[in-house]
Amino acid sequence: MNTMTLYVEKDSPVHHLDPLVKLLYVVAAIALTYILPEPLFIAGVLFVTLLLLLVGKVFRNSLPILTLSLFLIFSLVIVQGFFHPDNVTELFSLGPLVFYEEGLYVALILVLRVLVMIGSFSVLILTTSPDEMVERLIKKGMSPRIGHVILSVLQLIPQMRATTSKITDAQRSRGMETEGSMLTRIKAFFPLMGPVVLNSLNETKERSIALEMRGFGSSMKKTFLNEEKQYPYNKLLGGIIIAIVILGIVWRVMA
Amino acid sequence: MSIIEVEQLKYRYPDLTDLVLDDLSFSVEKGECLGIVGENTAGKSTLCYALAGLIPHFYKGAYGGKVTVNGLVVREHEIADIVENIGLVFENPFSQMTGAKKTVYEEVAFGLENLGLDRKEMHRRIEQYLKLLDVFAVKDKNPFDLSGGQMQRVAIASVLAMEPDVLILDEPTSQLDPQGSSEVFEVIEQLTEKGMTIILVEHKMEQIAQYADRVLLLHQGRQVALDTPEKIFSRVDLKDFGVTPPVVTNIAKALNVRYPDSELYPVTIEEFKRLEEAK
Repeated sequence: MNTMTLYVEKDSPVHHLDPLVKLLYVVAAIALTYILPEPLFIAGVLFVTLLLLLVGKVFRNSLPILTLSLFLIFSLVIVQGFFHPDNVTELFSLGPLVFYEEGLYVALILVLRVLVMIGSFSVLILTTSPDEMVERLIKKGMSPRIGHVILSVLQLIPQMRATTSKITDAQRSRGMETEGSMLTRIKAFFPLMGPVVLNSLNETKERSIALEMRGFGSSMKKTFLNEEKQYPYNKLLGGIIIAIVILGIVWRVMA
Repeated sequence: MSIIEVEQLKYRYPDLTDLVLDDLSFSVEKGECLGIVGENTAGKSTLCYALAGLIPHFYKGAYGGKVTVNGLVVREHEIADIVENIGLVFENPFSQMTGAKKTVYEEVAFGLENLGLDRKEMHRRIEQYLKLLDVFAVKDKNPFDLSGGQMQRVAIASVLAMEPDVLILDEPTSQLDPQGSSEVFEVIEQLTEKGMTIILVEHKMEQIAQYADRVLLLHQGRQVALDTPEKIFSRVDLKDFGVTPPVVTNIAKALNVRYPDSELYPVTIEEFKRLEEAK
C-alpha cells in the first residue's frame, strides 16, 4: 500500500524522540537563523541539523530534498550577488554584469537559512511517522478533524491516483488518445477529469457518511487505542532547545 | 417489542421537488430481519438514511413524521447519539474505510475511539468482531490492501464493534464478486441466527427470501406492502413495482407448486422441495 509519506522506518535515537520535541527543534532552528543572522551562527545550526540527520540514519534520504532546493540556492546567489541594493565591493564581472561581495554575503545567509529550513524539516519528516505525529498533536489538543484530514490525505491521494489510472485505461480502451502532442493530451484531459472528479466527490460523500456512522461527530472525549508512548529525555531536550533560543535572543539584544 | 417505529415518515431532498419518502409507517421487532425491496429510486437507501439519523442531520430537506430507534426519536438526537443504537453499512466497501488508519485492527478501533471507550474494552471488542467476521488473520494488513469481500467484512466489523442494536445493510454486496458476496451473506446468516435486528436492502431476491422475516415493498417512495416474503413474492403485480421474484418462485408458479389451500408460492429451494415432495 502506497502512502504519501517520506518517513523512513529505522531504529535510531532521533526516531525515538518525541515528535513534539522534533517540531520544537524545527521552529527553534529556523527562529535562530533570524535571531542571529550571522553566517557562522547559522552554519552552527546547520551543522547540528546535519548531525541529527546522520544520527537519525536519514542523511542519504535527505539528499534528494536538498538537491531539489539547488535551483533556489543558485537563484539566490545570482540575484543577490548581481543585484542587491547594498552592493558596493566588486568581486568579478561577466560582461556588463558585476558580481559584488555584499550581495554574496547576503546570499550566503539566505542559502544557509534555506538549508537549515530544509534540513530541520527533513529531520522531522524523515524520522517521524505521520500517525505518531498527528496522534501526539491530537493528544495535545489539536482538533481530531484536522488530524483526520492530514492522515487521510496521505493515504487517499495515492488511492485517487490509482483510480485516475484505472479511468485512463478505461478511456484508452475505448479509443481515446491520451499520449502524443500537447494538444492531444489537453484534449484527453477533460474526458478524464470528469469521471475522476465525480468519482472523488461521490466517494467523499460516502466516506463522510461512514465517518458519521462511526461516531466521528461525537462530542465525547476521544480515547486512543495505542498507549501513550514514553519518550526519553523529553522535558530535558525541550528545555535545552528553549534555553538556546532564549540565549540567542539575549545575545542579540546585548550585542 | 418494536425496536424501530416509523410513523408517517415523509422526506424530500433539498434540491428535488417530489417526495422521496411518502407517508411510510411501519415497525420492526427486536431480532427481526426486515428486507426492503423496490426498483431503483424507490427510496430504499433514503429510508436507510432516515432510520440511521443521517436524515435529517446529514441530509437536510423537508422532513415530516417520526422515526424512533430504541426509544430515541431520531430527529431530536445527534447522529453520534444514534450510532450506538443503529449501524449502517453500505455498498461501496472502499469508501467506508476511514483512510486514516494503517491496519485493519486500527480501522475497527476508529469508532470505538470516538465513543471514548477504554483501551481494554476496545481490544476485547476488536478481537471479538474481527474473529466473528473472519478477518482476524488480516488484522495487521492495510485495509486498502484487502479484497472487496474482506474490506466489506471489515466495514461490518467496524460497525458491529460499536455494538448497535440494529444493523442496516444497504446493498452490501452490489459491488462485490460472487466470492465476496457469499462471504458477506455467510456473515448475515450468522447475525440473523444470533438474533440481531437487521434491515437488509438487496437486489438479489433469493437472499431476501432466505434471510428476511418480513419484506417491505417500496415504489416511488410509497409503502406498497409489508408482509412475509411468501406473500410479497407471490403477488401477481410484483413486476409493476420493478421487482422480480426469486427464480425458485417463478419455477413454482410455472409448475403450480404452492402452499396447500393458498395462493402463496415457495420462495426458497428448501420450501419448494418440501412442497413438491408433499404433492
